[in-house]
Amino acid sequence: MRRLRLPKVLLSILAIVVAIVWAFPVYWMVSSSFIPTAILQSFIPTFFPVNGTLSNFTGAVADGSFFSALGMSVAVTLTAVVFCLLFAFLAAVAISRFRFRGRRSFLIAVLIVQMLPAEGLFIAQYKMVASVHLLDSVIGVSVIYVAAVVPFTIWMLRGFVAGVPADLEEAAMVDGLSRFGAFMRITFPLLAPGLVASGVYAFLQAWNEFTVALVLLPSEAAQTLPLWLRGFVQASATRETDWGQVMAASTLVAVPVIIFFLIVQGRLTSGLVSGAVKG
Amino acid sequence: MSIATTRRRGIRAPHVLILPAIVILVLGMGYPLIWQVVTSFQKYGLQQQFGKPAPFVWFDNYVKLATDPQLWLVVGKSLAFCLTTAAVTLVIGTLLALLMSAVTKTARLVLQIALLLAWSMPVVSAMTVWIWLFDRRRGAINYLLDMIPGVDMNRFDWLSTPLSFLLVASIIVVWMSVPFVAFSIYAGLTQVSDEVMEAAQLDGANGWQRFWGIILPMIRPVISIVLLLQLIWDLRVFTQIKLLQDAGSKSGDYDLLGTYIYKLGTSAQDFGMASAVSILVLGITIALSWFYIRSLLKEDEA
Amino acid sequence: MKRKIGLVAAATAALVVLAGCSTPAPAPAEESADGQNITLWLMGGDTPDALRDYLKTEYADATGGTLTIEQQDWADALSKLTTALPDAENTPDVTEIGNTWSPTFTSVGAFSDISDMYEELGGDKLLPSFVEVGAVDGANYALPYYFGSRYIFFRKDIWAAAGLEVPTTLAEFNEDAAKLKTATQSGFYIGGEDWRNGVSWIFANGGDLAKKDGDTWKSSLSDPKTIEGLTQLQKLYTDASLAPVTEADSTPWVNINNNAATGAPEAATIIAPGWAHWSIGDLTPDPKDSTKTVATWNDATFGNFVLPGVDGGAAPVFAGGSNIAISAASKNQAGARELMKIIFSEEYQNMLGANGLGPANLDYASSLGDDQFAKALSESAADSKLTPAAPGWAAVEGSGLLEEFFGKVNGGGDIKALAKEYDAKIDELING
Repeated sequence: MRRLRLPKVLLSILAIVVAIVWAFPVYWMVSSSFIPTAILQSFIPTFFPVNGTLSNFTGAVADGSFFSALGMSVAVTLTAVVFCLLFAFLAAVAISRFRFRGRRSFLIAVLIVQMLPAEGLFIAQYKMVASVHLLDSVIGVSVIYVAAVVPFTIWMLRGFVAGVPADLEEAAMVDGLSRFGAFMRITFPLLAPGLVASGVYAFLQAWNEFTVALVLLPSEAAQTLPLWLRGFVQASATRETDWGQVMAASTLVAVPVIIFFLIVQGRLTSGLVSGAVKG
Repeated sequence: MSIATTRRRGIRAPHVLILPAIVILVLGMGYPLIWQVVTSFQKYGLQQQFGKPAPFVWFDNYVKLATDPQLWLVVGKSLAFCLTTAAVTLVIGTLLALLMSAVTKTARLVLQIALLLAWSMPVVSAMTVWIWLFDRRRGAINYLLDMIPGVDMNRFDWLSTPLSFLLVASIIVVWMSVPFVAFSIYAGLTQVSDEVMEAAQLDGANGWQRFWGIILPMIRPVISIVLLLQLIWDLRVFTQIKLLQDAGSKSGDYDLLGTYIYKLGTSAQDFGMASAVSILVLGITIALSWFYIRSLLKEDEA
Repeated sequence: MKRKIGLVAAATAALVVLAGCSTPAPAPAEESADGQNITLWLMGGDTPDALRDYLKTEYADATGGTLTIEQQDWADALSKLTTALPDAENTPDVTEIGNTWSPTFTSVGAFSDISDMYEELGGDKLLPSFVEVGAVDGANYALPYYFGSRYIFFRKDIWAAAGLEVPTTLAEFNEDAAKLKTATQSGFYIGGEDWRNGVSWIFANGGDLAKKDGDTWKSSLSDPKTIEGLTQLQKLYTDASLAPVTEADSTPWVNINNNAATGAPEAATIIAPGWAHWSIGDLTPDPKDSTKTVATWNDATFGNFVLPGVDGGAAPVFAGGSNIAISAASKNQAGARELMKIIFSEEYQNMLGANGLGPANLDYASSLGDDQFAKALSESAADSKLTPAAPGWAAVEGSGLLEEFFGKVNGGGDIKALAKEYDAKIDELING
């Protein structure tokens, strides 16, 4: 007897409606960036770019500052992600595989550090970074970013490492592999989804970060993309906000992240699934 | 899970492994935190920026803080904002997670992609779009709402009163936070075994009872951590409020704790007070999450 | 465990010592400017590109070094100045500084003493009130860069249709503006939190924001004359303006141009800085870039006049403009001084005037020309007033107290009670 899948169908339609509503702002941003500002200025919103134009995009990147900001964002994000994963991974292995003195204190510290309000710390962070002449540099910002993201990443990876039974390593060692070799050959590959999930999280945090960058990257030449975008909006506001260019600029900042995200989203959801179980 | 016992040889390895993380945490967070604690006991203003030594006033800043009605108003607003927003985010996130597990594969994928798009949008990009959507003269939201018969939203200024300002902020934060919650809870839901659910259904339990009796207890760990994270993030929300203030009013009535501290520091140039308030916020955050931290640690020991 | 704590403590101690090591570089006595690369910070977009290019070329000619110009948005400028100026590695060598912030930064020693250059740069010819806010104990630290002023722009067509003529007293202006208000158009557009424009009503009635009492500054919002001005402003806002109560001084000129969608402007009258006239007029597509529009002034439709005083003449308005100073922590003192010489040169001062920015050296004020805008600028600037030259004034502005206060007043609050409340708040910050 075929049960009528009515509830499922109805719910699926509901899901699609919710999806449309939820993604609307993203659609709006992309669509508006193809509409000339003169049309956008009208009191009647335009929902679909009928006569699309690329002029907003060319205007937004006209003075080249976009590209230097892009370079800075890429440099900072890659540095932060690589070091964050490395440090967090080592720490997660230590926590999951060993019992050692200070382990509990370390765990508590890691948890508490996540709760420090960044808005109060930035003054001290500025002074510290300035005193070693690392303002406007990739290293200065990356150090702060890694420190900010490492705690959560350690927690995430801890669950993954703990989820791989050490017996597998023991078995490999019996077969003649060293401890290190066993780890690299057996455990490490099984951690891939966890590393991807953590990497994506770190990437997002670093790429989109605004507050710390605002303070540690004061010079125009050293801005990251979020700073560049805000500067763009403000400069635009002294005339009357050029919404077309602002939307185009916003799209340019969002697109790399969205694409990256869509590519890894398969790994990410599976990573989150395993993480949720172990975490 | 086997655990390496602390043999002579084994003691070294873990300490070396956690050393890089410790160094970076001390550098990035430890030193600033100490500076902050020290400064909260000093009178540190613009003059000190330019070299004048900072006199220690010990608990003066804290006393001033405790007796400042403006600050407690901001704390109250921030707590209210954080609790409301986190609660709404959690409810919507859970509903969407349930929805995801109950629909066809295609619909699920569509919904997930939409949520991913929202989640991956950089905050600054998202804020520019939302601010424009809520613009009083040209915003799409006023336009659409105005089309409802009987509702006059023409030129309604969403950012003109603190309440509507915070409502807008809340909507935006919920929009940005729900995807993470939905995905995490959905991940938890996939762990609920189908057999148990079917057995319950056969026993006559309706949807509601199944939810409360079976699903909820199983996903409780996920909900707990997600709720905690939301509370912490929503209490400290800064970027969204700051950018909304750029578009609306910079008046103190529109401050939550994040922008309040930022203003104290960089605009009113009273770093001593700003540090004291930051320590206060840290205290509140730890208080909010104390029980959870303890349970996490207990669970880890087990 | 003990080992770990020891390690942490040592690391922290090292960092504390390191942090203490950033001290401002002493100004070298005899130093050549040759080849020094310097940075100039400008606030906002007031200085046109042509002038910036001139500075760069002239500086390269004079010293062989490169001049980099960075523009800071007014919104972030205060925090950027606060963090960058004390830091020798990251400070701008020369910076424009808002005239309202000059007293604060001058009094904490952010700038180099340039009294020795005072005569060379213009001496008595420099705008006195601006020189004053940049001086401490008779020594000059910040000198005037340019002055601006604010005056009224109005729609001749709309005023004529209502049968109104240019008002000669402030009371007349307030009445006319109220008459012109319709459901969709402001008679006079002023944001609720716009204190830089709103303060003109306080000044016009003889009031002030703060007064110096002996050695300390006290906020004078409760002064009866100030209250009188605020009462007028509150009535004007309610009767004549449709602007949001949360709006501060932003882009007034967009409100007087015809709106593309409705064909009518948002307001019949606005108050704006003098250079706004470049953006006011009939809007047509830019021949160079069809997605942009340019405004061409049309004398039949648009006009301007200075805000009239209570008894006629010109009302004292908020003196716009900036000072310019050399950062005390800069390592390139000689190069910075060269740049100052270029800025105060006859040629550059004339360029400022030609672009609608009042030159610091009043000898060259004629470069402003004698069109209606130059006349309005001179007339309104003559009596213009500055904000209190108190050490803590930048903190008062930065904390948004004035925006808050004016917003609440214009929102219909009890003026006397609010004045008392905000006097107390401002008094806490105003003395630094």
